[in-house]
Amino acid sequence: MSNKAAKNLFIYGSIFFFVIFLALTFDTMEKLDKRAPAITEAVNAGKMAWHKYDCIGCHTILGNGSYFSPDLTRTANKMPKEYLKQYLMNPKALNQKAAMPNLGITSEEAESLAAFLDWTSRINTNNWPPKPILAKEARIEDKDMTPGQRLYRSFGCSNCHVIKGIGGATGPDLTRVGNKRDKAWLIGYFKDPRAYIPGTVMPAINMSDADMEQLTEYMLTLK
Amino acid sequence: MNIKHESQRIAHSFYTFAVLLFLVQVVVGIIAALQFIWPEFFILNFNTIRTIHINTLIVWLLVGLMGATYYVIHEESETELWSLPLAKFQFWLTVVTSITMVLGYIYMGINPQANSPIFGINPLNEGREYIEAPRWADFLIVVSLLLFLFNCFMTVRKTKRWTGIQGTLLVGITFLVIMYLPGMIYTKNLIRDQFWWWWVIHLWVEGAWEIIAGALLAFMLMKVVNAERGVVEKWMFVEVGLVLFTGILGTGHHYYWIGTPEYWLLIGGIFSSLEPVPLLLMVWNALKTTGKPRNVTNKPGLYYIVANTVLSFVGAGLSGLIHTLPQINKWTHGTQITTAHSHLAFFGAYILLVISMIYVTLPAIRGVKDYNPSRAYQSFWWMTISMILIYLTTTGAGMAQTYMERLMGLDYVAVKITYNMWFWVFRAVFGVGFLIGVVIFVMDFFRLGRESSPVMTTVAE
Repeated sequence: MSNKAAKNLFIYGSIFFFVIFLALTFDTMEKLDKRAPAITEAVNAGKMAWHKYDCIGCHTILGNGSYFSPDLTRTANKMPKEYLKQYLMNPKALNQKAAMPNLGITSEEAESLAAFLDWTSRINTNNWPPKPILAKEARIEDKDMTPGQRLYRSFGCSNCHVIKGIGGATGPDLTRVGNKRDKAWLIGYFKDPRAYIPGTVMPAINMSDADMEQLTEYMLTLK
Repeated sequence: MNIKHESQRIAHSFYTFAVLLFLVQVVVGIIAALQFIWPEFFILNFNTIRTIHINTLIVWLLVGLMGATYYVIHEESETELWSLPLAKFQFWLTVVTSITMVLGYIYMGINPQANSPIFGINPLNEGREYIEAPRWADFLIVVSLLLFLFNCFMTVRKTKRWTGIQGTLLVGITFLVIMYLPGMIYTKNLIRDQFWWWWVIHLWVEGAWEIIAGALLAFMLMKVVNAERGVVEKWMFVEVGLVLFTGILGTGHHYYWIGTPEYWLLIGGIFSSLEPVPLLLMVWNALKTTGKPRNVTNKPGLYYIVANTVLSFVGAGLSGLIHTLPQINKWTHGTQITTAHSHLAFFGAYILLVISMIYVTLPAIRGVKDYNPSRAYQSFWWMTISMILIYLTTTGAGMAQTYMERLMGLDYVAVKITYNMWFWVFRAVFGVGFLIGVVIFVMDFFRLGRESSPVMTTVAE
């Protein structure tokens, strides 16, 4: 190949690939609106706050960011909105172990950030992040679970609590909760958490007395 | 050997600023590494530290490449710079802009409310990684880049020696300037935001910067081993051609999971898997050209050139290849695997490139006939071994994270503060090793040719 041929290959080849890339970009732009819910003023205000506090300097979103703190793409699916808002305004008040500093986020900003994160949780991301494959395989089928375990799962307790390493880090670890609490305390606590631990963010659980009994039985087996 | 053109000395100012920022970047990097162990270790939060770490990286590499380009343009055009005062002005504009920018990040770190939007624009930090520079700084950076480009083009016009090397170099820089612009658009949609953001980030490091790297590699091979122009230029065209053929559509590997259509999985997977090919070609080119026995005068220069191509292939090529296929990336995306890759890639592909250019051109700028190369080798091994260990520990953390978080469903924080802790500790230790290498390099930069030392390397005419 002559020097000139190599040069022409570089120039025209690059232009060729860039044109294809541009065409795909136009096509992508056309399709994007169908892949996420409509953007409201609140969602945009949340995005502005997201940039203002340089949230991406610690967190990732859609998997891109700083890998120092949790990915927030699907956070809104895991946390109640009220909890998220309070956490944003004063993280350590809700979780003493939180590494997140108090940035002075106002309640309006917290509200719009929650709307923004709710929007991101509904983006069609080609199924990312994937469902944990081992947890799914190791999952005991419903018929093998005790009624208490089933309630623990259906009420989403593991979003905040950990049992034997599995679950969220927001609330206390429940692996040995059976050693610490008795039946009366647990039932009373489930019905009115703040009567037992003032200022806790644990929501009151609304379930029948029979179910409450089952969930408590399960808690007491954790030793 | 001495420089033939007086205005070539301008490269020295750019190198000096670049080297100092490199030192800042690595010191700040160690603070960041310690914050993985103790999140409240420093007065500034991690986001500010991380912003400074990656911004100083980008700025020092850019400044280093500008200095290198000013040097090359003289030799290729065989003339003085079109305007030396303009180059000096452009240098100080860059210095003042970048320092003000960093002071702004620090101020915002202490007082986050200072970044409240003014007319809808964040005055201190745009909150988008790598391009955190606020809008006013964006404009000044673009002005600086345009002045730089203009000065280079006017210099080439003086003698109209359109060599392949400087043509390619200027194409690379023009592409770099254009690709900065998509990062200056605000979009309400986070998907669009990240889409255009990758135009800047990906088409810089896997596009424009690689073109510049290809041109500088050709130049350095000519300088150090007197390689024949016709041969190195042909290699260069093939290399940078393949970089763009694979790299442009390879952008697709960032469009797998951000809300963009599914066809990017196929396009990104295919083209990004081919991205290591031109990097391998550069290794082959460097080894083939430098392998023949000949009287090499600037041994550290040669050493760094070959190391640059090899570590670029390993860091940017192979360590990217292992997680670029969507089937794998689905599990590793957003984990420390990416952090590990980007450290080794930036080090191999660009940090070593700028240091190579410094060792190839600095002796001539200082008018040095001979200098002691031992510090150049020492700093190389301290930096390279430490960086490989940083890569391995961070990859270890990433593997544990991928397995426990993505596959088993453990919580992010639980993995980070318990199972990954020892990886963070070792990474910080190796970070100190890297800093030792950088300190040796910075000392060498300031002392090279300015001290009397036993003759060990002769830079002949």
